[in-house]
Amino acid sequence: MNSWKLKEIVVMSVLSVVFAVVYLAFLPVGKILVGFFGPIGYDLIFGIWFIVSIIAAYIIRKPGAAFLSETIAAAVEVLLGNAVGPMLLVSGMIQGLGAESAFAMTRYKRYDLFTLMLAGVMAAVFSFVWGYFLSGYAALSTGYVVAMFIARIISGAIISGVAGKALSDALAKTGVLSSFALGKEQRRKQAA
Amino acid sequence: MSQEVIRVEDLTLRYEERQKPVLSRLTFSIEEGENMLILGPSGSGKSSLTHCLNGLYPRELDGAMNGEVLVQGQRTDSYPAGEMAQNVGVVFQDPETQFCMITVEDEVAFGLENLNTPHASMVEKVDQALRQVGMEAYKTADISSLSGGQKQKVALACILAMEPEVLILDEPTANLDPVARKEFIQLLKRLKEELSFTLLVIEHKLEGWLDLLERVLIINEKGELAYDGPLHDHLKTYARDIHEMGIQLPYATRTALEQGWTPPYPLHIGDIPPVALPENRPVLSAGKALLEAEAVHWKSILRNINVTFHEGEWMAIVGENGSGKSSFSRILAGIQPPSKGSVAMHGRALKKWKESEMRKEVGYVFQNPEHQFITDTVYDEVAFSLQHAGMKEAEWTRIVEETLKFCRLDGLEDQHPFLLSQGQKRRLSVATMIVENQNMLFLDEPTFGQDEKSTSDLMSLLKEKHENGTTIVMITHDMELVDKYATRVLVMNEGELSFDGQPKELWARPDLGDHHLELPPREQWKRAVLKREEPAYVSS
Amino acid sequence: MFLHDVNPTVKALTIIGAVFLLAFVFDPVTPLLYIVWTVFVTFVFGTFKKRYYVYYFIPFTLFAFGMFWTTVVFSDTSTVTADSVSFLGMEFPTEDIWTAAALGLRVLAFATLSLLFLFTTNMVHFILSLIQQLKLPPKIAYGVLAGYRFLPMLKTEFQQIRAAHRIRGVNRPDSWKEKLLQYQRFAIPLLAGAIRKAERTAIAMESKGFTGAKTRTFYRPMKVQRKDWLFPVMMFGMLGITIAFSVYFGYFSWYDGQL
Repeated sequence: MNSWKLKEIVVMSVLSVVFAVVYLAFLPVGKILVGFFGPIGYDLIFGIWFIVSIIAAYIIRKPGAAFLSETIAAAVEVLLGNAVGPMLLVSGMIQGLGAESAFAMTRYKRYDLFTLMLAGVMAAVFSFVWGYFLSGYAALSTGYVVAMFIARIISGAIISGVAGKALSDALAKTGVLSSFALGKEQRRKQAA
Repeated sequence: MSQEVIRVEDLTLRYEERQKPVLSRLTFSIEEGENMLILGPSGSGKSSLTHCLNGLYPRELDGAMNGEVLVQGQRTDSYPAGEMAQNVGVVFQDPETQFCMITVEDEVAFGLENLNTPHASMVEKVDQALRQVGMEAYKTADISSLSGGQKQKVALACILAMEPEVLILDEPTANLDPVARKEFIQLLKRLKEELSFTLLVIEHKLEGWLDLLERVLIINEKGELAYDGPLHDHLKTYARDIHEMGIQLPYATRTALEQGWTPPYPLHIGDIPPVALPENRPVLSAGKALLEAEAVHWKSILRNINVTFHEGEWMAIVGENGSGKSSFSRILAGIQPPSKGSVAMHGRALKKWKESEMRKEVGYVFQNPEHQFITDTVYDEVAFSLQHAGMKEAEWTRIVEETLKFCRLDGLEDQHPFLLSQGQKRRLSVATMIVENQNMLFLDEPTFGQDEKSTSDLMSLLKEKHENGTTIVMITHDMELVDKYATRVLVMNEGELSFDGQPKELWARPDLGDHHLELPPREQWKRAVLKREEPAYVSS
Repeated sequence: MFLHDVNPTVKALTIIGAVFLLAFVFDPVTPLLYIVWTVFVTFVFGTFKKRYYVYYFIPFTLFAFGMFWTTVVFSDTSTVTADSVSFLGMEFPTEDIWTAAALGLRVLAFATLSLLFLFTTNMVHFILSLIQQLKLPPKIAYGVLAGYRFLPMLKTEFQQIRAAHRIRGVNRPDSWKEKLLQYQRFAIPLLAGAIRKAERTAIAMESKGFTGAKTRTFYRPMKVQRKDWLFPVMMFGMLGITIAFSVYFGYFSWYDGQL
């Protein structure tokens, strides 16, 4: 934690607060999809619920960014009033760990599109395993469970990986990230 | 005997992302108990200097810092992290972003906790600091419920509680309205009499500070030291140079420059000789009724407002914060429908207008221009609405180029809007709102937080627009602006319209202060001169 | 009131413990009884605007009912079950209804427990207690507090951006691609503003001498006193009694992955 600058922590927590609100806003969207497609509805957009871990890690590039940001976002969701309550905190931590594991695999060296998509995929895998035990997907037919799993992985890769990167890059263009790892990298690229 | 508290020796500061240094070879020293002003145009590295003086740099710096900064005879980078706060305290510009706790008392205590103050004396110091700034009644209040002026007082209390030797105020009043600004400076004057500390104020607006500050350090746009010495004497002689740097002079001095008088220039309103200053009497050319508000109510914020705007008017909407100015103007501009009552444009109710048609008639410049930006470049930003209007390419490119030129943004076409300077951002948001030749333009606090240069640029641009027939409605706290430009002024008070008339009729009202309003400087001067002249007249 | 005075960390751990234990239970009766108990405790030992509790509670009830309903409809149980119940003119296997009710009530039990915490805990005190009792690093704790302060600010900011965009004529996306672009247009000024402010806040905190060091004094010392243990004893005790009751009357069942 000592390698973190205070401004990185505050920025991460602000991102978490923003996306906690976004996460809550997407719950009803998920519910509508569930109404149409059954439990798989959530999996289609599940990637949205990992996005802050990818964005924070991509911007700040320090060990723990993915895990902490997702955990804080979950904590804020609980504080704002979420039905699942404390359980959500655990879900958040597990998703965060999933994303974190991808960055750890590159030894926190690579932050390219592939790594970010991998982080989304890993978050999806971790969260699915947790969900499997928590919400009892075992009761569903195997084919359906596999379909859910695939949907969640794709959603993790696309929504949190690809869209998370696009959003961060667009943000970097505004210059507000100039003193963060992502902004510095872009500056180096421009200079080169 | 006074002692040196800060010594800066050959300080040069560079940021990683910039070629040129922000601060270049600065050398000066500050003695205990001094009251010093640091002046410089925006972008001259004044705020960076703050970070050098309080030890944040070089620790948090992405770049290089050369030279020496000594506080109490010791290099800032040799202090253990956090200990500098006992020597140098800073109040920053933005009242919204100086706090990390929810309530006032917790925030004041935060700094003391950082210094490991024992609990018992902490409780005492919190009370004492709040008493000093006159905020003891708000001890348990939420910071978010306070006004901007109150927040700045709390920020000051946080610093006072830590009892630093040096107090740096980094544009502490830039985000406050004129009344709150005056109050804050008044508070500082009182504190200066009661307590002993060294005061350093960084500013680009001089009004109000002259009685408090004696010495001035001027930094030019290259980050070099341009002058170090007595403030008043320098200003009396070199006001023009300071003005040209983009610094806002006090009204008296500014007037003297405008009138082409020779130095020594007057510094206070009372020093202006009793000559006839040109009256700012805008031509009244009220045309046809353009916008009519009838019995407008909105939530519990606006109550029964009736008003008609005419073509060619320049309206000012004034009133205390929270009096409903912004809500009202948004309803007028059709951004927000009223909860009761109606607004009609060209005799047709706003709700019957198609959104896209309405936008061609009315533009609205928000207080924070960034909120309005939706593309990645200045050019696209201006072109956006034209492209969506289905115009021929040759035609819209011509209009975009003209508009950019008109708003003095030519040459910046490929910049990202967020990377512009404050003044450029504001002009860009104006550009996007006049590009379809809208004949009515709303502006929310158009000059707020801007330096002299961008204010005058913007106002001359608006003036030209107005002369070409655009109706302008501006929300403002700046009575000088009202006095100079408005043909009609509306005063809002607790959601109601309490005055509607010409500016000079407003100035004649005795109850101005009740609305949190002050007289424009020209009126203040008139009265000061009249008061002085009267007895003389009687005796002769 | 008693609940407000319980040390926040003790309270939080108790709640989490109770949720954790309840997660292993899978019958409708145990959570139902525990819901009644939790609401009782909240109302008797807490002071807050009861109206707000209802506002919060209603969506949770709807959510729980939604869960009940989807489970009934999508459940994958074998069709050979003999028992069935008629509900809204449709036939459902009793087992499914039972499972669905267990699921719905379990969620509602979680909800009432977190509401107990939310309505009787000052968030700043909670975080301060986490620093003092659980040794949460101050750097993270105060960083989060600073971020949490942004919430109301973000709301006004959001509304302003929406109004500002409306005047630019971007509020009606034609295609889903436009719609995505619109999300981004919204997000950029919001996030850019928030990041800039966060950075300024961090600078202000540091210039007040904040270093994130673990040694610091506290304006609000948070202590765990003997009376604080009454709360966990009460909550876990009642959970034990509830479970014993369900077991005795034969309702009790463990959770083993039903949906």
